[in-house]
Amino acid sequence: MYAFLTGPMLWLSFAICILGCAWRVYKYVKGLNWQLDRVAYGKYPDLAFKGAMKSIFHWLIPFASCSWRAKPVFAAAFFLLHIGLVIVPLFLYAHIMIVAERFGVSWPAMPDGLADILTILSILAGVFILLRRFALSEVRIITTRQDIMIMAISLAPLVTGFVAAHQSGDGNGWLLAHIITGEIWLIAVPFTKLSHAVLFFCSRAQIGIDFGVKRGGQRGSGIVW
Amino acid sequence: MFEKILFATTGSPECDSAARVAFDMARQYGSQLTLFHVLGIPGKGDSNVVIDIRSGEEVDVDAEYIEGVAEELRTTYAKQLEALPGVTIEVGVGVPSREVLRMARTKDVDMIVLCGPAEGQQAGFYKRGVVGDTLRKVAKAARCPVLTVSRPSASFWGGFSNIVFATDFSKASESAFQFAKTVVQAVDGELHLFHCVDLSRFQSPIALTQDGIEAKLAEARRRLHHEYATQLGDFKRFTSEVWEGTPYVEIVKFARERQADLIVLAHHARDVDPDERPFGSTLEQVIVRASCPVVSVNRPDKLPQAAEA
Amino acid sequence: MPEGIFCNKKPINTEAELKALLSDTRGTKYYEEMLSLEVDREKLWATIQKTCKSRTQTWLDVCARCGLCADSCFLYLVNDCKPEQVPSYKIQSTLGEMVRRKGDVDNAFMRHAMEVAWSQCTCCNRCAMYCPHGIDMGVMMGYTRGLLYSQGFVPWELKIGAGMHRVYRAQMDVTTEDWVETCEWMAEEQQDDWPGLEIPVDKEDADIMYTCNAREPKHYPEDLAEAAILFHIAGENWTVPSEGWEQTSLSMFAGDWEACKLQVENVYAAIDRLKPKRVIGTECGHAHRATVIEGPYWAGRPDGQPPAPYIHYVQWVAEALRTGKLKIDPAKRIKQTVTYQDSCNYIRNWGLAETAREILTYLVEPGYLVEMTPNKEHNYCCGGGGGFNGIGKFRPQRNKALLTKRDQILATGAKLVIAPCHNCWDAIRDLEEEYHIHIDWSFLKPLLLKMVIIPDHLKPQDEEGDEE
Ligand code: HEM
Ligand code: HEM
Ligand code: SF4
Ligand code: SF4
Ligand code: SF4
Repeated sequence: MYAFLTGPMLWLSFAICILGCAWRVYKYVKGLNWQLDRVAYGKYPDLAFKGAMKSIFHWLIPFASCSWRAKPVFAAAFFLLHIGLVIVPLFLYAHIMIVAERFGVSWPAMPDGLADILTILSILAGVFILLRRFALSEVRIITTRQDIMIMAISLAPLVTGFVAAHQSGDGNGWLLAHIITGEIWLIAVPFTKLSHAVLFFCSRAQIGIDFGVKRGGQRGSGIVW
Repeated sequence: MFEKILFATTGSPECDSAARVAFDMARQYGSQLTLFHVLGIPGKGDSNVVIDIRSGEEVDVDAEYIEGVAEELRTTYAKQLEALPGVTIEVGVGVPSREVLRMARTKDVDMIVLCGPAEGQQAGFYKRGVVGDTLRKVAKAARCPVLTVSRPSASFWGGFSNIVFATDFSKASESAFQFAKTVVQAVDGELHLFHCVDLSRFQSPIALTQDGIEAKLAEARRRLHHEYATQLGDFKRFTSEVWEGTPYVEIVKFARERQADLIVLAHHARDVDPDERPFGSTLEQVIVRASCPVVSVNRPDKLPQAAEA
Repeated sequence: MPEGIFCNKKPINTEAELKALLSDTRGTKYYEEMLSLEVDREKLWATIQKTCKSRTQTWLDVCARCGLCADSCFLYLVNDCKPEQVPSYKIQSTLGEMVRRKGDVDNAFMRHAMEVAWSQCTCCNRCAMYCPHGIDMGVMMGYTRGLLYSQGFVPWELKIGAGMHRVYRAQMDVTTEDWVETCEWMAEEQQDDWPGLEIPVDKEDADIMYTCNAREPKHYPEDLAEAAILFHIAGENWTVPSEGWEQTSLSMFAGDWEACKLQVENVYAAIDRLKPKRVIGTECGHAHRATVIEGPYWAGRPDGQPPAPYIHYVQWVAEALRTGKLKIDPAKRIKQTVTYQDSCNYIRNWGLAETAREILTYLVEPGYLVEMTPNKEHNYCCGGGGGFNGIGKFRPQRNKALLTKRDQILATGAKLVIAPCHNCWDAIRDLEEEYHIHIDWSFLKPLLLKMVIIPDHLKPQDEEGDEE
């Protein structure tokens, strides 16, 4: 079981995740239509590039957009959650070891203590965001079952991974659970709203180009995010 | 003398005196009279709703409503219409001053008759004071003479005979003078040339000394004679007078004193920015206060032709 | 009754149809018929499949349902933070549902969607700046309006408005003859005060071709006269086209894309015909949006540009002041508290915030300008955008929406609001009438005319004979 999950299944889930995401990006770009979207995507490469980059970076950097500044608590939760979801797994010693074993490539890991703290913060942030959904009427009304599902899928590997790493005795059960939830996570990315891990960049680039080449980028300071 | 007259009316009682003058004039001079009611300010963005001038209410303008308004006018002026066949009734939608000017242009009329604001009602129902606004804008832009009647007492009984011409010596006043001259000669009436030295316009204390004022008065008298009286030729039934003070006050006082039944003046060129004046322009003030019709003439285009009349 | 006499899926293409629909006062019968207007589900789904491409689809799918957009929408805030006014909810419950159900929606759904699309969103695009994914509800609502329009679910006034463009190539019944006659009239009216002033019609190769909003010739021709006087003072070589002078597009508000194309092509044809160096539009926000920002795409121009450089009036004014073509008498600058209404259409969506501010430095005595909060690109809609002003059925909602701007203005303490946009100007007038906050509002042209220094050679000879 363990062998299967860390063997073929692991490869499969990675493949699905990566190829799936690539497919989503491909479909996205292909589906852009200058006339329907009313944006001259290809005509002003410089402006487009600048607009897209501005649009992405203002949102990727904590508090660099007006909206993040307007909602500091939420923004903090958002970044903590995503650090746990994206950065921690990438620089986790245990993960790097597994990759090194299989591929022979490795990169520096973050200290376990830091990973622990970030994981806990990330879980707390996730729970906070989940509770916020029910607490605020403006979020409650747009919440669907899917949103709770994807939060569960996202947090599951964090929780299980954390327990697996910290439980004393025989950790096989939790580790197994961690790997299963991790693989679910990977497979879910291209097929659910988690695809935003790549589509975020597409959609932000698109609106950046829209404002950059059409709605003001050619004049003045362009849009200020 | 006035082939085509446009009478802009709301059909309300405030317009009664103006109506009387308009109908009487049309009958007397055999003019083609058009009754014109502009029923509303276009309101509310791009919708079809307009604000009814009289009630200030929102109404929907459609063919039926317009017909209703025309019918109302016919009823209001039933007696006059019976006595004077051939009167056209038109109903328009828009900003009143604009639509009156547009209609005057389309019909190429020789005289516009407006109802003046009754005193105390100057501000009108509408924030901007539609009545005063209409008056001011029409008087400024019309190419033909604009006659306004505001006082019920200022009705017109069988013709003008005692005419006051008030001038500020502007170019527009020259046209006003030509008008006054033609009318007074046609009716064989009496003409009173008048100018008021506007004291409020002198800032320097020197000008305000008695000598300074005397000099101005003398100069104005000379100009009245030189610029106007000499043009009257054989016509001898005129007087000429110069006073000092605030023009509209003096014009009204003078007209009363001479028992004028018509005041002729130009839209005073000095009143460039009427919006800034709390009490409106000289013309408006005269109209509100005068007890006789007031004609404003600014342009030579549509002056009455004496000869053929 | 699947298709009504007034309310149906057919656009208005003739004057007779237009008159007939107009005769149905306030659309009473029209809305009655709408109750039983059938939805052509196959056609709706086919249209969605053809036009709902990856951008829109992704926006719908990827929305994190985080609610960050809520506070960005003035309609949410002004309606006591009603959850139904959250931008994400507004689009997901309309377009989102339509797409998810593959067009299988009923009459009640469509009528509700109509209400949302035209009374709960002014397409101001503010939310797009606040959504982490860059989801633009304004754009999506515009798209939704197109779907609704194609199924006949559109407010009465806007069906008429789109019909006007189809019949007259103008948002009102102003014909070419009416227009040219108005130009002559205005030139004539100004002759005494401005000797030599002209409104040249159809002059080829002029430096400037001027386009305007049909309401100007129809109801406020002095606006045209003012434009002419200012060009005259600035010594511009300008012209207006006899055909293709109307810059606005109610069809854009209505979602009638075909009419949008017809309308804008009419203007572009004038540009091609007269070959002006550049085109200047009047003080109107949505006209600029329609003809300069979106128009090139409707007309199928891949570079996204009109046939000649096309600028907004504020750009010309800023340039004229900067280069000294228009000089302001410093003594006449505005010396009362004044504020500026940023129009979403050319400020947020065309980047003219600083251009407008440049003008204000010339017109307003330092210290008298008090900005609204928020302002510039972040401004709130005036409350009447996207056609909201004109729809009788949604008047109560519109009046409520005006409260945002009212309170913003009150907070500045301004007595005068400079609003170089017809729609904003209307909305501010209406809010004064509705709420009596004792403010004045103005386009730029009349203000400029009060302050501009008139070069001696343009002054009429012998204006006054009276002593000075
Ligand atoms: C799918 C394949 C995965 C495998 C084989 C894997 C493997 C592991 C292993 C072996 C550990 C160490 C457990 C221990 O020390 O006993 C671990 C910990 C962890 N993993 Fe994964 N993992 C996978 C996916 C993921 C994913 C997708 C995420 C993130 C969302 C994730 C987040 C974590 C976290 C947060 C920890 C605990 C870190 C700490 O608190 O020290 N893992 N994982
Ligand atoms: C670099 C990649 C990623 C970027 C740029 C990104 C960006 C975003 C953004 C912009 C949001 C919306 C923010 C909001 O909630 O308002 C979001 C939400 C979310 N993201 Fe990501 N994300 C990334 C990767 C991931 C991954 C890999 C996962 C987990 C599998 C994830 C899980 C979530 C969840 C659960 C939410 C929903 C938060 C909520 O309920 O409001 N994200 N992300
Ligand atoms: S801010 Fe954007 S992602 Fe969040 S709910 Fe609104 S539209 Fe959706
Ligand atoms: S476009 Fe404007 S009105 Fe529409 S939802 Fe967004 S913020 Fe609100
Ligand atoms: S009317 Fe003015 S403020 Fe309102 S949406 Fe249009 S441009 Fe924006």
